[in-house]
Amino acid sequence: MGVTVLQQFPMSENRTGPQTIEFLTKRVVALGAVQTGQFLVDCETYQSVPQLGSPKTVHVLHNSEQPASVFAVLESGTKVVPLIADGLFDLLMLKMTSIYTSKKQTKVEAKGPRFEIGDFCVKLGSVTMSQNFKGVLVEVEYRPCVIPGSSWELMREFLQGFLGSAVPNQAPQYLQNRMNEIYQPMDTIQQYLEHFGQYRKSTSVI
Amino acid sequence: MQREEKQLDSALEAIILRVSDLKSAIAGMLYKLEHEYETLNWPNFLDNFAIISGHLTSLSKILGHDKAPNMRNFTILPLLLSPEKDEDLLRMTEGRISTFAHDLVPDYLRTKPEPMAEQKMNHLELKASNLTFEASQDSNKQVAQYNKVVSHVWDIAYKAREEWEGEAGARAAQVQTSSSADTHTLVAAIGMGKGLKSDSGPMAQSRVSPGPPGIMAGRSGGQAQAAGQGQIGVGQMGKAPSAIKTNIKAASQIHPYGR
Amino acid sequence: MASQISTAMDSLNAAVKSNIIPNQEYLLQGSVMDSAVEVLLQRLRGLCDNVDSRPETFRDHEMCFSIRRGPPPEQPLSLRVRRALDHQDMPWQLRYIGQPELGDKSRPTIVRSSIDIATSSTVVEFLTELGCRIDFEYIVQGYMFRKGRMKVTVAKIFKMVQVKIPDNVEPISQSYLVELSVLAPRGQDAIAEDMRIFAEQLRPLVQLEKIDYKRLSH
Repeated sequence: MGVTVLQQFPMSENRTGPQTIEFLTKRVVALGAVQTGQFLVDCETYQSVPQLGSPKTVHVLHNSEQPASVFAVLESGTKVVPLIADGLFDLLMLKMTSIYTSKKQTKVEAKGPRFEIGDFCVKLGSVTMSQNFKGVLVEVEYRPCVIPGSSWELMREFLQGFLGSAVPNQAPQYLQNRMNEIYQPMDTIQQYLEHFGQYRKSTSVI
Repeated sequence: MQREEKQLDSALEAIILRVSDLKSAIAGMLYKLEHEYETLNWPNFLDNFAIISGHLTSLSKILGHDKAPNMRNFTILPLLLSPEKDEDLLRMTEGRISTFAHDLVPDYLRTKPEPMAEQKMNHLELKASNLTFEASQDSNKQVAQYNKVVSHVWDIAYKAREEWEGEAGARAAQVQTSSSADTHTLVAAIGMGKGLKSDSGPMAQSRVSPGPPGIMAGRSGGQAQAAGQGQIGVGQMGKAPSAIKTNIKAASQIHPYGR
Repeated sequence: MASQISTAMDSLNAAVKSNIIPNQEYLLQGSVMDSAVEVLLQRLRGLCDNVDSRPETFRDHEMCFSIRRGPPPEQPLSLRVRRALDHQDMPWQLRYIGQPELGDKSRPTIVRSSIDIATSSTVVEFLTELGCRIDFEYIVQGYMFRKGRMKVTVAKIFKMVQVKIPDNVEPISQSYLVELSVLAPRGQDAIAEDMRIFAEQLRPLVQLEKIDYKRLSH
């Protein structure tokens, strides 16, 4: 487990989603990356019923990189509480369907090929929301390091190397707030959640 | 005294009645055997047997009854023996016995042992009188030895019994090791919080509203997600997603007290 | 490496369908007086698997939460959080326990549905923000034994005198709680018979029984 940066790759008019993935695949393979299977991050969101008082939202995410874990993020208006649990947590959510209802149409997932190239791990995810294609997310992990502040410059160089100008010089806001802390799997989940939120808000492909 | 005599009388009467019933039943059967042997069939014959055995049963019931006097305790004493023919006796016995003489009385009143038994006794007595002194000493010794062994075995058995009973008694008297009242207290406490809640009302309140600062110990204030993350997935990191079976196993084994 | 990847929910549903998730708890309960606990521990050491080592000790803090799923008579959902005070780096445990089924006389143990989830230590705050309220809490401290799939705990239940300070406690009884339990997938009723036989071996020291705590309250 190392530091991970999640980067949106903007869609252009002349390419479809699969074509974009193929285009990026060619680039990373040209750099010497080897495909090591597929990856999947999904997110289902539950909304509290009005009887429960102030509205609360529970996002439940899974990451194929940590297959035995379930990540939950609770937003209660005043607080954001993360929870990491094992796989049976999903069964517990099913016990609460009468007070926390799933908004099926906002179920988002990022799915695609996973590559390894030296110390880096690259994932090219096409984002779909209830089967509709919404965009492409590129995840890059630099595995030898767990402090974002120490690895950002290296990662920026690598990212810009195959994504070009789409990558800003500044670290993503989420990482900037914790540049000197130890990076955890939950941080990757939080980044996905932020991006998924943006896709949900937009009506078109971005 | 008078009551006992009365009891004896009535018992004798009943016995005599039963005996005469039995006698007539036997006589009836003998008659049939002698006069109707050509037409007599088995079921009929067996019926007669059944009647006889019924009479025998009721007779032995009377003899065995609590209130019946023990006939064994009474003595019959022949006062006069005579070789003369006795008409009364002849009539009473339906012509079977004509004289009450010394050659017949011992048999009928059984003043001697049964002939078979008498013979055996004689035989044994003869054998005993022929024994030599040494031989009798020897057998006496054996008897003494045997008695000793028997009493020794009896001692052992008795001791064992005493011990066993004592142990059983001690076990029954053993101190109590569990109390169902305590079980109920404990189970109700962990099940429903009985006895744990009583003065914890305000606690519950304080817990819910501002959030539990103590629980997050060791965390930097605003960044709740910093410390305890990734514990669950650590083992799988960097590995390919494996089958769900092993995932669930791994997860359930994390906490050995998984109650 | 599989080229096709399935979602975690699909895998979980497959696991539920093939009935490999241990979601049933078979349970017998009893108690032993403080004066006799040493005898019981000796006997358990003889009967159980971990004979050669010293009995495993534990000291847990358990908090019971509940949340209303609807207006009465809908039973509130009851959730329990347990953490090991003697192993602070262990995951916390979140547990759902269903209504106990006593069954008739032919069923040797209580059966209740159960979901055991290992979680991060944020679980208490998570539940609180979710809308759960804490009903009660206690400290449970004692010994644990294993016999095959069976688990035996002999533990003292302590009431917390001060909120959130697990050091200041007082016992609620002069006895230790004794529990014999197995967590198994649905339908493995044969294990209940094994439990009955094991419980038989602890008599008359401890009477392990099916206890309906709901009925005790009246």
